[in-house]
Amino acid sequence: MKMKLILTTAVLFFVGGHVVEAQKAKHDTIPQDTKIDEIVVVAYGSQKRETMVGSNTEVKAKQFADRPITSIGQALDGASAGVKVSTGTGQPGSSPSIQIRGIGSYGISTSPLYVVDGTIYTGSLAAINPNDIASFNILKDAASTSLYGSAAANGVVLITTKSGRKGKDAFNFSMSTGAVGRSIPEYNRVDVYQYYPLIWESIRNGRMTSMPGITIADANNYATAQLISGVLKTNVFDVPNTQLVVNGVLNPDAKLKYTDLDWQKPLMNTGFRQNYELNYSGGSNTTTYFSSVGYTNETGYLIKSDFERFTARLKVDSQVKSWLKLGTSISGVSSSGNNSVDGADNNSAYINPYRWTRTMAPIYSPYAHDPITFATLYDNDGNVIYDAGSARGADAAAGRNVIQETLLNKDLSKNYYIISRAYAEIKVDPYLTLSTNAGFDIRNNRRSTYGNKIIGDAAPGGSAEKYSFTEQTFTWNQLLNYKRRFGDHNFEFLLGHENYKYTYEYLYGYKKGQIVDDNDELINFVTPASLTSRKDNYRKEGVFSRLNYDYKSKYLLSGSIRWDGSSRFAKDVRWDSFWSIGAGWRLKGEEFLSNSNLISELKLRGSYGEVGNDGTNSYFMYKSTYTLGYNNAQEPGILFGFLADPSITWEANKQTDVGVDFGFLNNRITGSVEYYNRVTEDLIFPVPLPVSAGVPDNTISRNVGTMYNRGFEFTINADVIKTQNFTWNITANASTLKNQITELSNGITEIINGTKKISVGHSIYDYWLRQWYGVDPADGSPLFLVADTYANTTAADIRTVNGIKVTTNSSKAKFDYSGTAIPDLFGSFGTSITYKQWSLSALFTYQLGGKTYDSNYAALMSSYSQGGALSTDILDRWTTPGQITDVPALNSITYTSSNIGNSSRWLVSSDFITFRQATLSYSFSPETLSQLGVSGLRILVSGENLWSKTARKGLEPSQAFNGTASNRYTPARVVTIGFNVSF
Amino acid sequence: MKNIAKQYIKWAVVLSVFTGMASCQSDYLETDPTTAASEEAAYSSASNLMAIINGMHRDMYSRQNDSQGQNGQGGIMIMMDALADDLVFPSTGNGWYISTVRWQDQVNDSASNTFYPYQFYYALIRNANLVIANGPSVPAPTAADATTIKAAIGEAYAFRAFCYYMLVQIYGKRYVPGANNTQLGVPIRLEANEIPLARNTVEEVYTQVGKDLNEAATRLAGIARATKSHFNDKVILGLKARIALTQGNYAAAVTAAQSARAGFDLMDKTAYTAGFNNLAGNSEWMWGATIIADQGDSFSNFGAYMSRNFNSTNIRQAPKAINSKLYQLFLNKKDVRIDNFDPTGAHTALALPSTYSKFPYTSQKFLAASQADSRVDVPYMRAAEMYLIEAEALAKLGDEAGSKAALNTLGKKRFTDAEANYVGTSATGAAYLTEVLNTRRLELWGEGFRFLDLKRLNQGLDRTGANHQSIVTNNVMTVANTDLRWEFLIPRAEINANPLIVQNPL
Repeated sequence: MKMKLILTTAVLFFVGGHVVEAQKAKHDTIPQDTKIDEIVVVAYGSQKRETMVGSNTEVKAKQFADRPITSIGQALDGASAGVKVSTGTGQPGSSPSIQIRGIGSYGISTSPLYVVDGTIYTGSLAAINPNDIASFNILKDAASTSLYGSAAANGVVLITTKSGRKGKDAFNFSMSTGAVGRSIPEYNRVDVYQYYPLIWESIRNGRMTSMPGITIADANNYATAQLISGVLKTNVFDVPNTQLVVNGVLNPDAKLKYTDLDWQKPLMNTGFRQNYELNYSGGSNTTTYFSSVGYTNETGYLIKSDFERFTARLKVDSQVKSWLKLGTSISGVSSSGNNSVDGADNNSAYINPYRWTRTMAPIYSPYAHDPITFATLYDNDGNVIYDAGSARGADAAAGRNVIQETLLNKDLSKNYYIISRAYAEIKVDPYLTLSTNAGFDIRNNRRSTYGNKIIGDAAPGGSAEKYSFTEQTFTWNQLLNYKRRFGDHNFEFLLGHENYKYTYEYLYGYKKGQIVDDNDELINFVTPASLTSRKDNYRKEGVFSRLNYDYKSKYLLSGSIRWDGSSRFAKDVRWDSFWSIGAGWRLKGEEFLSNSNLISELKLRGSYGEVGNDGTNSYFMYKSTYTLGYNNAQEPGILFGFLADPSITWEANKQTDVGVDFGFLNNRITGSVEYYNRVTEDLIFPVPLPVSAGVPDNTISRNVGTMYNRGFEFTINADVIKTQNFTWNITANASTLKNQITELSNGITEIINGTKKISVGHSIYDYWLRQWYGVDPADGSPLFLVADTYANTTAADIRTVNGIKVTTNSSKAKFDYSGTAIPDLFGSFGTSITYKQWSLSALFTYQLGGKTYDSNYAALMSSYSQGGALSTDILDRWTTPGQITDVPALNSITYTSSNIGNSSRWLVSSDFITFRQATLSYSFSPETLSQLGVSGLRILVSGENLWSKTARKGLEPSQAFNGTASNRYTPARVVTIGFNVSF
Repeated sequence: MKNIAKQYIKWAVVLSVFTGMASCQSDYLETDPTTAASEEAAYSSASNLMAIINGMHRDMYSRQNDSQGQNGQGGIMIMMDALADDLVFPSTGNGWYISTVRWQDQVNDSASNTFYPYQFYYALIRNANLVIANGPSVPAPTAADATTIKAAIGEAYAFRAFCYYMLVQIYGKRYVPGANNTQLGVPIRLEANEIPLARNTVEEVYTQVGKDLNEAATRLAGIARATKSHFNDKVILGLKARIALTQGNYAAAVTAAQSARAGFDLMDKTAYTAGFNNLAGNSEWMWGATIIADQGDSFSNFGAYMSRNFNSTNIRQAPKAINSKLYQLFLNKKDVRIDNFDPTGAHTALALPSTYSKFPYTSQKFLAASQADSRVDVPYMRAAEMYLIEAEALAKLGDEAGSKAALNTLGKKRFTDAEANYVGTSATGAAYLTEVLNTRRLELWGEGFRFLDLKRLNQGLDRTGANHQSIVTNNVMTVANTDLRWEFLIPRAEINANPLIVQNPL
């Protein structure tokens, strides 16, 4: 085996070298540090910050310790330049998605690699108690990530958990509690008085369009007659249906029969959050320990969404012999909670509460009312009776009631985790350390759902599903570390081998037909509708090496290489090598700067390397397969399910990074400026195929393209005022991003997918949309620019307005590029102020540039809504000839063109600024503390997602990297008050 | 010395530890999926090859594109009726198929209902091409295996013919009998590849369909099928009759229809009103789909939209009705077929709960297994259709006597009185032909024929004078036969990936 040869050669080199050394009996010495250096965690080890040439941002615990967050992912937002976050949902326990330095890939994973205590971690970030984390490091460039080889392309987040410290026995307890509410308000929508006349107008205008000779009076009468019985089905006013809207005006005598028309209040109110944390740690000369117990309970602002988590952790490190150090850590987590509907996956489903609270017209009540007295109806037990949806328009979820269904249905998950690590370090001799690390994570997830018998998808029989999966990851590496100094030359050499094994086992059962009430175990259901299981295996193996060299901490050099093999690819393309080199010049170490007071730190650094991305969507992407389970009654059946490219392989990332780290005035001001260029080659694209090829999803994934992401990152941290009683610190970071496809091979020139088109010279998130021109002032028709194929034709639907050839037919509209979802500038800024015992910190995140495709707004701007809500902007629609407006006329015939999707009409700016977090705390003075007998006591008030400003009320631009909007559980605003005490 | 010895021991330990760990099994990185079968496995035995054919039959009643309104062949059948005049939606219900009723699908190249039939049939064509290409090399150790392989390949040809026939009718201009149909049809793909192909002419598509049916017929001759969901030689003949009628080859249509229906006795009157949900037990059904309990898709099944009793919002709020004008034509004629429709809409015998909206002329032709179970056996081909094809073809050939003989054989079985008292129609000439066509409308109501019949007969759409509501149809009450909307637009997804496609005129 290739690896065996390399290893034995390397080891022999050392043996030989050492023998030579022993014979020479040089007076080299064991490196002794005479000053305290800042040590930074890096891949497979640690290094002095001074001698690092890579891009590595460290965030220490005190920056997020006080925040009421459930998952450490929430602390990554704004933590470093170049990190873009798509926020998690309001479901308690959800984590955001992260992209580091641009969009690394189109078709496959763009998430960074997470490493916990030196071992790859694939579980949920919500399983790690943020209070157990000592620090996390964000590694951004090839020099720092290339040791992770094929998984490193999208950056790496190293998480280090807390350890004990010798001689420092500590015992801490903290508690916080607070409220959870909705942070992004709803779009402005018309009320019940405005709604009926608008729909009437649409019917009337449509009648006149479809029957050109008709008189206005006849069309009005038609609309008045059809408004309720034909379209909206419910008249919530006390006048007869045919007198509700006459000649476009709501009957002035009309009074509401009942006023409980709000769908949001029954579903969304205030949630509650509690968090308790106890940890104790300490150590002697040889052994240190850290132990913690934590409990978090958060209910979301949407009913029946919550999260409860118990964590327990024990970590012991012991120098059992002078040459042997052992360490073990084990963490057990149990979490459970009610799941809310995943908005992005169920964007237009009947069960999506965010959709229906947004798009239900203001004329429908969720409750049943007496037809004579109009009173809300209650059953014999005093429970309110819900409206079964029998009198709703076609766009109003007829036959369904999302409130009743959310209350009656169940979706509960339980998770059990064990996260364990063990290591041994053997000091073979003063320079050489052999260590081995093993990590074993196991996750067991159980999910149960229940569909009720009364209303909804499972009615009238009722249904229950049980899901179970077990995920196990096992990693084992062996490292050889040789660290030696020859005079002013320092060398550090690392050689390692690692095995990674991932197993996923899944079981699913689904039965219908409930027997008795109040029992949703499968045994209580009659008909099995599905029973299935599967198993996935994923394995990796790698050999790697790194060499660091520095001369007097002034001239720095670093190089690394890794050979990786992944089971995701076919044998011939399975193994590849990933490498990097980096160099740096620490100007501060030079004579001319060593005494400078102005410049306290100055370092130039750069790196170049190649890393890979194997995060494909399937573990078996290179095999074409037939899907099992297409049985035809009693006969077994399979159907062609996936077309594969057998030569599919990694995406390769070639990354260049150049940066300057600076510090002024004794590090009162520190910061860095970096430039990066990340070129992705062999991009895996789902290349569209003609539908006539009959391929499932009409795409095949191939390595076809090349793309770059490049930009600047600016970070600055300034202690503006630093006195005994008052300190004021400001931090800010800003990043630019330019993304462009430079090559698409295999005969492909463009790929159109949804609202985007990819072609050479454009970014991956460039919009390709029908070009909306506006509204014709003459008759209120929707207008689009004409496609070239129809430009010189004459037809009834092509006209010239303001000298431009336009069309009213959306099928003849011209498609063109319309901006991009990628922002020009994004980042965060924050401040922290301390005055005597008080301290205040705040963090803002922002984005400038880029566009969002606001499909949620489009749904509220229908030119013929049959029971769906309408935005208040619809009041600007065209009504009179000559009127200049950008909202077309309401018309039940032309609405398909006005409403058409994939149109530039729905683009809106993504600019936003969010007040992401703030904490105000009071630390009791040492005098008070000694009276109380504790070593530390703080009271704090802390909040997340406090305020944001976007281009349109109701818009949430940071929900998706690609600029799309969906009906989802918008993030929550959390405000808590609590204390922590140390003994 | 001692020092160096100690070093060497340490090094030896290090070396051995390393080489021990570095020895890896070469197949450590080989993994296999458990959710799917590889291609090698699929073509490794005759039963696996037939499993592909069964998968295709299952696809005919499976949900496509994750949409409950796009259930295989059944959903397309509903669309073909929703577009036309005989199926009436008395209200918009919860919106399913309303865009079809309003003729809005086919004019929008991005509409999902424009994409659906195209994607559905071409996916089946791909599977058929794979079976045809790989079938001959499947090992056949026993004679039974060889028969299975032959049957599988035969069914693959039949599937391919059926799919191209449906595609060319929906996306191409109508076939003009007797002319050289050079208008654009659909791309003919006979291999499972992905290269862009231009649209072949309608004539070329029909020629290919004919060839494939002949290949199927040779292979399926004399082979007994496991269930009526499969193709057999009779079903092939039935398809030949159907296609010959569309192409105006009336003589061929007659011969094929007569041979096809041999062995399928027309159902009696009681069976006719029993709910149209018994493929296996009903002698007249030639080809269809039976959906068993754990394979159904509650809200996606054909019966979730077309039955009268299933408790779906669509059926409670917009139960399907028959065109009242058509109903009136057969009133007082003692025809059992109109007994499947209730002019009052009450359906008292079904004891429907009050939450079900009632409208006049609604249909109970299809009855789901229960109010909680939407399963209905889906009829793709019945012997009655063969009689109607024969009657129409003979009438167009001028053989009115022969035509009436066929029509009366069917009419007798649909007569509520004693068969001996049955007197066929006395109309002649053009009036007689209209009667044949009206009988066809009533007999095949709800089975997915009307839009395609109107198109092949070159008749326009006329929903006036009946129980269609303009608010539901969005004022689409008449459509001239020259309207461009009779051809569905080629879906945008095809054009985006295939520059050789020429779109239908808008």
